[in-house]
Amino acid sequence: MVVLAAAVSAGVLLIVVLVAGWGGSGKSDVTEVDGSPSAVLYAAGHRPTAPDFSGTTLTGSKLSFSSYRGKVVVLNFWGSWCVPCRAEASTLAAVAALYRSSGVAFLGVDVRDTTASALAFTRSFGITYPSVTDPSSAITLDFTSVVPIAGTPTTLVIDRTGRIAGAVFGATTYPELATMLAKVTGKAADEAVSR
Amino acid sequence: MPVNLALGHVSNDFLIAALVIYSLSVVAFAGDFAFGRPRRAGTAGRVPQERATALATVGAVGGADSTTATGSPGVQAPVGVPAPAGDQDARGAGGGSGGTDSMPELAVPALRAIREAGPWVRAGVALSSVGVAAHIVAVVTRGLAVHRAPWGNMYEFVTALTCVAAIFFLFVMIRYRAWSLGVFVMGAVVVALGLAETLIYTAAGQLVPALQSYWLDIHVTAMTLATGIFFVAAVLGTVYLIVDRYARRVAAGRAEPGNGIIRRLPTTEQLDRLTYRTIVFGFPVWTFGVIAGAIWADQAWGRYWGWDPVETWAFITWVLYAAFLHARATAGWRGRRAHYIQLLGFTSLMFNILVVQVFITGLHSYAGVS
Amino acid sequence: MTDVRVTETDPFESAAPERDGRGPASAATGSFGTGDWLKWAWRQLTSMRIALVLLFLLALGSVPGSILPQQGTDPAGVQQYFSSHPALAPLLSRLGLFDVFGAPWFAAVYLLLFASLVGCVVPRTFRLAGSARTLPPQAPRNLARLPASAEYATALSPEQAAEVAARVLSGHGFRLRRSAPTGLAGSAAPTGPAGSGHWVSAEKGYLREVGNLLFHLALLGVLVAIALGGLFGYKADRLLVQGTSFSDTQTDLDEFYPGRLVTAADLPPFSITLNTFDASYITSGAQRGQPNSFDAQVSYTASPGGPTRTDRLEVNRPLSVDGAKVYLIGHGYAPEFKVTDARGQVVFDGAQPFISGTTGNFLSQGVLKVSGAEPDQLGFSGVFVPTAVDIDGTLESVFPAADNPVVSLIAYAGNLGMNSGPSQSVYQMDTAGMKQLTAAPQLLRAGQTLKLPDGQGTITFTGYQQWVSLAITHDPGQLPALICGMAALGGLLLSFVVRRRRVFVRATTSPQGTTVQVGGLARTDASGAFEDEFASLAAELRSAHQQAAQDQPAQDQAGHDQAGQDETAQPPGQAATVRHEGE
Repeated sequence: MVVLAAAVSAGVLLIVVLVAGWGGSGKSDVTEVDGSPSAVLYAAGHRPTAPDFSGTTLTGSKLSFSSYRGKVVVLNFWGSWCVPCRAEASTLAAVAALYRSSGVAFLGVDVRDTTASALAFTRSFGITYPSVTDPSSAITLDFTSVVPIAGTPTTLVIDRTGRIAGAVFGATTYPELATMLAKVTGKAADEAVSR
Repeated sequence: MPVNLALGHVSNDFLIAALVIYSLSVVAFAGDFAFGRPRRAGTAGRVPQERATALATVGAVGGADSTTATGSPGVQAPVGVPAPAGDQDARGAGGGSGGTDSMPELAVPALRAIREAGPWVRAGVALSSVGVAAHIVAVVTRGLAVHRAPWGNMYEFVTALTCVAAIFFLFVMIRYRAWSLGVFVMGAVVVALGLAETLIYTAAGQLVPALQSYWLDIHVTAMTLATGIFFVAAVLGTVYLIVDRYARRVAAGRAEPGNGIIRRLPTTEQLDRLTYRTIVFGFPVWTFGVIAGAIWADQAWGRYWGWDPVETWAFITWVLYAAFLHARATAGWRGRRAHYIQLLGFTSLMFNILVVQVFITGLHSYAGVS
Repeated sequence: MTDVRVTETDPFESAAPERDGRGPASAATGSFGTGDWLKWAWRQLTSMRIALVLLFLLALGSVPGSILPQQGTDPAGVQQYFSSHPALAPLLSRLGLFDVFGAPWFAAVYLLLFASLVGCVVPRTFRLAGSARTLPPQAPRNLARLPASAEYATALSPEQAAEVAARVLSGHGFRLRRSAPTGLAGSAAPTGPAGSGHWVSAEKGYLREVGNLLFHLALLGVLVAIALGGLFGYKADRLLVQGTSFSDTQTDLDEFYPGRLVTAADLPPFSITLNTFDASYITSGAQRGQPNSFDAQVSYTASPGGPTRTDRLEVNRPLSVDGAKVYLIGHGYAPEFKVTDARGQVVFDGAQPFISGTTGNFLSQGVLKVSGAEPDQLGFSGVFVPTAVDIDGTLESVFPAADNPVVSLIAYAGNLGMNSGPSQSVYQMDTAGMKQLTAAPQLLRAGQTLKLPDGQGTITFTGYQQWVSLAITHDPGQLPALICGMAALGGLLLSFVVRRRRVFVRATTSPQGTTVQVGGLARTDASGAFEDEFASLAAELRSAHQQAAQDQPAQDQAGHDQAGQDETAQPPGQAATVRHEGE
């Protein structure tokens, strides 16, 4: 009787201890870039499909993501109010310039922002690639269903077939981005320049 | 709908009237102590100590009876009754109070008992009843004035809970012929009402949007009822401690038996049982009030429990009254200690109403007191 | 092993008697093994005394949680406490007093309490189940000593009388125990000298213990439900300006507090647009300025591409979408600005939410960080006054509605520090790298423009919008907690209302034929109802016996006549000798 009651209490304790701590889950088919868990590459065959979207750019013209099919796309979620986005902006501008002639397109998704501030941002950092506004985070919502986008900045590398090949959750660095692009395009950064 | 200020004034007038009438009733009950008719042993229904069963009336006077009244110093369990000493069987709610416990109705009907108790008791009961009626009118007109249940701020809450306490006590006093307790409970009501009128008076007004919900009628009503009931239990518990202390001092030879006031009060067992039954009545109401509050909190604030200071103190109060019920079923904790716990619970209740809601900012800051 | 519980199967003693630290079994031999100590500790834990102590600790431990600011609900208050009590605060923090209800010691108290509860309740549940098979105790010898008793004579034989009594009592739902029939040698229940009588022992009111156990188990259920919510539920906040929308995704929420097993992927994909928000206030009387009503008109889609619905969101009226509930918590003002920089470019044009503090009438404060201004970044720290009135040189808000909106700004230019480093709150500005441009706050009415000194640009106060703060929650433990709470209440009421009572009937041969004694007692009779019940039971038994006697064929003429004489002596329908204590 005592043993039984003790067992039941232990069961209750176990349930409650679950509240106190629980480990995370692991993922396969994902490799980390440079050992950083926030920059990952998805193995071919395990790449989620990027949802299609369309919207208005900061300059007011219409843009449809489907028009980018066939190119490698670096999709960057950002906002002018976001400090890490500002920190990585120059890197993105530079890599965009580096890979422009290799058929890699850069596209921004401007989140929770106002047009004037966003345009000022692009001016400040010399970003010449277009950004689509996402005032209600509808585009972000779509992408969150396939990759766990947790905040800004987030950078996705989408391959030519429209599948997400890599993701950086947080501010990206030049080596990180270059490594990922090299893997996805099959070209190293210096090869891209020499073209 | 705009507030009916005229009715608000009417409500206040009736409340002052109730206050005055209650005060007069306290005087009458005190007069019964000083000049009242000695209680006849017959109507008291006292039973020899060997039987030691519970009684319907209280306060017998007379030499032999006084020794039995005072000769039970700290006797917690009844003596010589074939009931098992298993008071500890009830773990938690509803602990036994021991013995073949029956408080039979008297053959003498209530009105005759009131008449027979003497002119002071008659006056006290009459005045209390009229006071309760005025009090009820005050509460109802306040509700009509503001077009909602009249417990939306602290002033309204205190006037409503003292009304509940007065009604409940009137019922208990008449049922158990406990006239000698009138001075204490009605006195406490007078003090509480007086403080409410002078310190925390709030004119009739509308509620903030967060309180505009039918849950006000459910949650705050339950809390008002439970607090009124616990109010009575606290007064009874205080009287218990007074009587118990006197009884123990008599047993230790440090006090003379036959103290006029204490003699007219019920015995510790009667007070203990009465207090226990009052709390048994109030505890489920309080529990229901806490649950209803949690449901309302979920509707209004998005979570059913968030350890808001008022929620926390309602929880503390609940735990302390649960401890009282446990203590009554634990050897060595019945009697005085259990009543300390009960009074501690009431203190935390009052602290919750008077201090936490006013001075500690949280989601419950609706006291209306600036 | 020694079992300190009562061995008798009498359910009135269903609980173990007070465990007060009796020593383990091997005390007799003088040696205490680990197992014995564990057993002793377990018995201590499940004793009433320790339960009482733990209840006190639970109450006491909750007190600092209500007095000190708590990290979960008031992190700003915790910060403030640290700055105002620099010596004391770290000590309190180490003791866990700024997060009492998540602290390990608080968890230890309630876990021990529940372990104690389980350790007591589970054996009692088994005992209750077992007692369903055990019998009431034997009838006492002298029923007249019981608090309620009655006595009368009947023509039936003792055995028949007992039979009839058993039938009547069983019809009322009592559990019975009978004396062994005479003639059996070595009967288990000795009835004294042969022919001294048959008896029936009846008991009722087991529901009381059921209620008691239900109450305590339901409390356990509440704890489990809370754990469920903590694991699988989440909470999120979002401030939404009128005219804008948001989606329920982590990037678009201001705060996100997931349960342990919840990830951002579990957020339901709805979107909400705040179309309009109206707040009305009382304009006159003693309660002038107090809010009268708030309501927010929203349109929402439950999933991307789904149909758009509209709804009204109010306090006390949350919106249910996709399994989550959205609550209207608060509201405020977001003044609109248009900023041009030194180069003449429009670098900001929109609304910036300002936050009202504890000062009344929605006097709100905020910052505007214009990071795109060139060559110097611009920043503004401002106060928005909805109904501005100049009182002795100070601008104050006298009414919460925006009847006379004025903005007061201090301008800065320089480096906002936003190009690197940790994330910044949009409501806070670090002016360390900036130069204050205006010596005194500048006032702007709606439509007015302030020209910044040093040619740094202009700022125009173009208007204002209102914003609402929303709370989005999902708690799968909510409904189970409610159900367990109601079950606890039901169990509580059951245990308070149902009385355990016993009725005994003894039939003995006597000169008049057979004397039937009926006796009864109840535990904790709250209202004297047992007396009424007993009186009616006694009357019913009496009339049942009379009926049976009349129906009995007249075998014994003498006995029948005898009974008839007795019948006339005691008029039927009068419980002649029903006695109650206290009369």
